[in-house]
Amino acid sequence: MPTLNLPLTDTPSLLGGFDENLLEQNRKGEHALLQAKRTAAFESYSKIPNPDRFHEEYRRMDPELFQIAKFSPLQIPEAAATYKPEEEDSNYDVVISVSSEGVAVEDCNNVLSDGKLVVMPLDQAAREHSTLLEQSLGAGMVPGEQRKFLDLNGAFWNVGFFIYAKKGVDLKGGILIRYYNDQADTVLLPRLVVVAESLTRFAIAEQFTSPDGVKTLCISGRELLLDAAADVKLVSLQDWGNEGLHIGEDWARVKRDAKVNLFSMTVGGKVSKMTVGCDVCEPNANAYLGGMFFADRGQHFDQKTLQFHSAPDTYSNMLYKGAVKDNGYSVYQGIIRALKNCVGVDSYQTNNNLVLDSTARADSLPGLIIDADELACSHGATFGNIDQEQLYYLLSRGIPEGEARRMLVMGFFDEVIDRIPFENMQDHLHKVIERKFG
Amino acid sequence: MSYLQIKNLHAQTGDIKILKGVNLEINKGEVHALMGPNGSGKSTLSSVIMGHPDYEVTEGDILLNGESILEMDPDERALAGLFLCFQYPVAIPGVSISNFMKKAVDARHPEGKAPAGPFLKEMRENMEYLDMDKSFANRGLNEGFSGGEKKRMEILQMMMFKPSISIMDETDSGLDIDALQVVAKGVNKMRGPDLGLLVITHYERILTYINPQYLHILMDGKVVMSGGPELVKTLEEKGYDWVREQVSVTA
Repeated sequence: MPTLNLPLTDTPSLLGGFDENLLEQNRKGEHALLQAKRTAAFESYSKIPNPDRFHEEYRRMDPELFQIAKFSPLQIPEAAATYKPEEEDSNYDVVISVSSEGVAVEDCNNVLSDGKLVVMPLDQAAREHSTLLEQSLGAGMVPGEQRKFLDLNGAFWNVGFFIYAKKGVDLKGGILIRYYNDQADTVLLPRLVVVAESLTRFAIAEQFTSPDGVKTLCISGRELLLDAAADVKLVSLQDWGNEGLHIGEDWARVKRDAKVNLFSMTVGGKVSKMTVGCDVCEPNANAYLGGMFFADRGQHFDQKTLQFHSAPDTYSNMLYKGAVKDNGYSVYQGIIRALKNCVGVDSYQTNNNLVLDSTARADSLPGLIIDADELACSHGATFGNIDQEQLYYLLSRGIPEGEARRMLVMGFFDEVIDRIPFENMQDHLHKVIERKFG
Repeated sequence: MSYLQIKNLHAQTGDIKILKGVNLEINKGEVHALMGPNGSGKSTLSSVIMGHPDYEVTEGDILLNGESILEMDPDERALAGLFLCFQYPVAIPGVSISNFMKKAVDARHPEGKAPAGPFLKEMRENMEYLDMDKSFANRGLNEGFSGGEKKRMEILQMMMFKPSISIMDETDSGLDIDALQVVAKGVNKMRGPDLGLLVITHYERILTYINPQYLHILMDGKVVMSGGPELVKTLEEKGYDWVREQVSVTA
């Protein structure tokens, strides 16, 4: 009788040097609050076995692809770096840049001086806002299997920011955090903690870039806590160079009458695994999860969304649009979860995929877990190449075929891109789509 | 020689033969109506003229200004001066009307890019003429449009692209009287020595507003009868059964 002989070995080497020694290095000289948080995260991290490709979560993306053991933490000097303005910065009120040269925080429109809006590194926040940071750092976390990497980030983050808006802050431009890594074989572990008091409105963008040909890894963790009637938008633009590897986890907790918009745009790098989740936890809380991914030239992108409804009369809407071509591979997985007694929930989950040629592949696994009655939840996924009737219509108007195809792909993504609150990011994404069409 | 000549046109989709020898000639400055019962091949004819990939021409030819267009792609046919007002224009969410119109007008411009100022002015004027709200320009093409809005959009394009030959495929279907009047207003504004019109319709309703000089009746993939405006009235009174009788008598 044949036996199923799977190599069910643990992979002890997977995470390389992310051990107690590194933890001690990170803790050295740090504020006691941060030390305690790192230790707690490390304890949780140590208890979780290493992920492997036989685990459901990683069946479509082998964790070995990230070659984590090969990377050593990016050294970021403690002294403040000189701010180097870029053209796009005029779109923002605050610009933070992070690179091997250090961290620069620029208050372009003088929005930080009155203290109502706080944007600062985590170590400074530990000194100046310790109570709030104690309550928020690590409070909003993606639950479930992927905790390993979030805890890894929690124990070993090497750059982190605290954004705190006091009641009534209404920011026009927004906050940009620009990560640039040109150091080969290094890992960036950024952490972002966002606390929005009631009746605040602001937007944050995080942008990740690196030169082509430079092997880099990023393991990012972001948590957003929204109090009543806050309105926060977060845009993540992952546009690493062609050797970039990325793991990212976002989690938002949304209270009464508040609304969060979480945008996850994945276009760069070689392998990427993004998890974006929200807990709409009080009545009339609302979340929109918008995503785009475009995998070509062998890129492998995996995205997961989690819409948790832990209170009645809560709303969430998720739209992820993906395209694959030229040996690209994309995976979308999603869960809507409504807890018991959560009546009046309204929740949608839509994933549309354009499969532009036969060398590319897109998988989609939407899902619902519902423990309540009297609610409206729906999910759906579509796959297809460019619609032939739409193409014919544009051709019949004299538009050449190449241009018509570009317009249709652009239009497909614009349903998400148009909702991004930063025009320069919209332009950037349009250019990326042009580039991928080449 | 007529500007558009359709000669003994046979076309099929898959194994289904739909057009079985259509002959039709249209000159600039003329307005022709094409009528016929359901399934007679009216919409197929318009699709074949425009070059829809689902149809195969097995015999005959289509000449525009003396040259065969059968080997041309739909975009080349459009730039050669053909326009089709679709019966069911497809919605393209995410492609805004202003972007779409600009790209289509650019394609017709000798330098590949039409100056924005005059383009916007012309579009605004034409939209006003068709009672279209300014905000339309920012909407996704035909996205969530009512039947009347879709048809106005088609007429707006015809006004902007200035074709030599325009085929209107059942433009009147699904329209109320107001929308019908607006459509007719646009068509009548375009009438003139530079445009040949082929108005395909199932009902004679639209012909009350657009007076054709010629009427052709299509049955079972062939033009079986042609005549002047008086034929519209006769058809209205006697119906297609009368046409069938006449055709079988002469056959």
